[in-house]
Amino acid sequence: MFRMLLFFLVAIGVIPFPVSADHSPKIEIVGSTTVLPIASRAAERFEKLQKIEKFKSSHRLRILVNAGGSGVGIHSVAKGRSDIGMASREISPSERKRFEGSHLKVHTVAVDAVACVISSEIYEAGIRDLTRQEIRDIYLGKIRNWKEVGGPDRKIVVVDKERHRGTRHVFMNYIFGNPTAKTPGTILVTGSNNEEQTKIAQSDSAIGMLSYAWINDEVRAIGIRDNKSIVNLTRETIRKGNYPIVRNLSFITAGEPNGEVKAFLEYLKSPEGQQLVEESGYIPFT
Amino acid sequence: MKKVATFPSHNKPKSMENESHGIMWVFAGLNLIFLCCAGGLFLFLIFESYPIFKLHGFDFWLGQDWWVGEAYGALPMLYGSTLVTALACLLVLPLALAVAIFISEFLTPTSRRCVKAILELLAGVPGIVYGLLGVSFLSLWIKDVFGLLDGNTLATASCLLAIMILPTVLTLSEDAMRSVPAEYRDNALGLGLSKWQTATAVVLPQALPGIMGAVLLGIGRAMGETIAVMLVVGSLDRIPDPWFNIFSSAQTIPSKLGREAAEAIGEGTHWSALMALGLTLFIMVLLINFIGNRFLKRRSIS
Repeated sequence: MFRMLLFFLVAIGVIPFPVSADHSPKIEIVGSTTVLPIASRAAERFEKLQKIEKFKSSHRLRILVNAGGSGVGIHSVAKGRSDIGMASREISPSERKRFEGSHLKVHTVAVDAVACVISSEIYEAGIRDLTRQEIRDIYLGKIRNWKEVGGPDRKIVVVDKERHRGTRHVFMNYIFGNPTAKTPGTILVTGSNNEEQTKIAQSDSAIGMLSYAWINDEVRAIGIRDNKSIVNLTRETIRKGNYPIVRNLSFITAGEPNGEVKAFLEYLKSPEGQQLVEESGYIPFT
Repeated sequence: MKKVATFPSHNKPKSMENESHGIMWVFAGLNLIFLCCAGGLFLFLIFESYPIFKLHGFDFWLGQDWWVGEAYGALPMLYGSTLVTALACLLVLPLALAVAIFISEFLTPTSRRCVKAILELLAGVPGIVYGLLGVSFLSLWIKDVFGLLDGNTLATASCLLAIMILPTVLTLSEDAMRSVPAEYRDNALGLGLSKWQTATAVVLPQALPGIMGAVLLGIGRAMGETIAVMLVVGSLDRIPDPWFNIFSSAQTIPSKLGREAAEAIGEGTHWSALMALGLTLFIMVLLINFIGNRFLKRRSIS
């Protein structure tokens, strides 16, 4: 019987240990799904570079990249649950205040635009641009049919995002002047860019907001009309700053980075890293 | 050791006696660990959600608006969870019972084992797989079949949950029917009842407690399912208009937790509100199990 008790004690005691036996250096990156393509591309290259440089070292650097959204990224880096946070928006004043002790530092690596996107069926039916007021009324539920803005007679599937998402902050800030605006017209709430892209593509009458890199044939970006002038979303209009909804894509550290984290961030800002930004579909930050 | 020795002894060798009681203590200890886990979880949830109840009182359960930093009202999530689970049960019960009767009473032992093995395999498929299938097929089918504006609805989530809990409910109900003693069947058949009558009038009532247990387990899984529901329910924190409109998007408790927990983790009113949602779910499952057990007891007495 003693043997049995002993066995149980040993069994219970042993379980947690194998997990913590790993000492190889590790960088954990969490946050915005908009920044994620840059991070995962860079992580892959950087791991390889490190491997060549430190060929004789048995400890190989590992970089783990996880999604979650800008809010999660800022929160987890401030709380020390990850080494680097990804954010596709500014750190909000309330977050600045809340995480004052963490001395968050922003390292901007790319420029992106948030597009107002619609299902390809609506785009082909002739909707190519909307005014800010029209988008606002759609999200407020005052306009419920595409007919009212010159489209086909079909109800609008208004797609919103989770409230802590960076893309939503930037988009709502432009449309409503308030990053946490309430949108009673909403029909669906989505999370990541991938999820929103899928749901808009599946629908034939949806409107939503997406990062520039996620636009494709099924999810079309529309121009923003102001009086008579229309600004379409192109690389040129983003670069020149004509397109109104642009934002910086950043990595965030708690305090000044050092060691592997510093090397990784420097790599991102190097010409090679900026090349990766371009490959991911964003505009390099220079 | 002393304690073990003081147990009343029967006519068994002393050494064997000690041995078996020792094992019993180990098992009792393990049992205690599980009880402590359940109790600890409950206390943790109460402790963590205390701030929100202090702030809003029981209005937390009645409020309809959830705006982080301004208002925390759980009613839409409560409503969504209840409706989705109830619908899933309604969908799954007739199907599960019909198939269970067929497998238990009409199949040969060999084919029965085959069918059961496959079903039990299905019961182990992770939620995310069902969720992705739901996003790519089920929501589109439902949209087309019912001519909806969009396929991410309460009905879609219920269907998906029904599919998810079907193997569990089915295989456990079948076990319950199978465990009805063979004499009952033989007697019924001997009295001239047909095979079908035997199954519905003799086996089914006898197996009812087991079936109830299977359904309760299914409800538990359906209530707690996060990712699959999150992907197809629409995640809109609003009670459908009108309230019985199952073809509109809504929100469930686990899905809400899944979408917001990572951002709020650890502290603050938001976290407390999410923990209060967790507590609500905990109490709901507890209540359902309690009512289910009471219902069974009353039945078996009468």
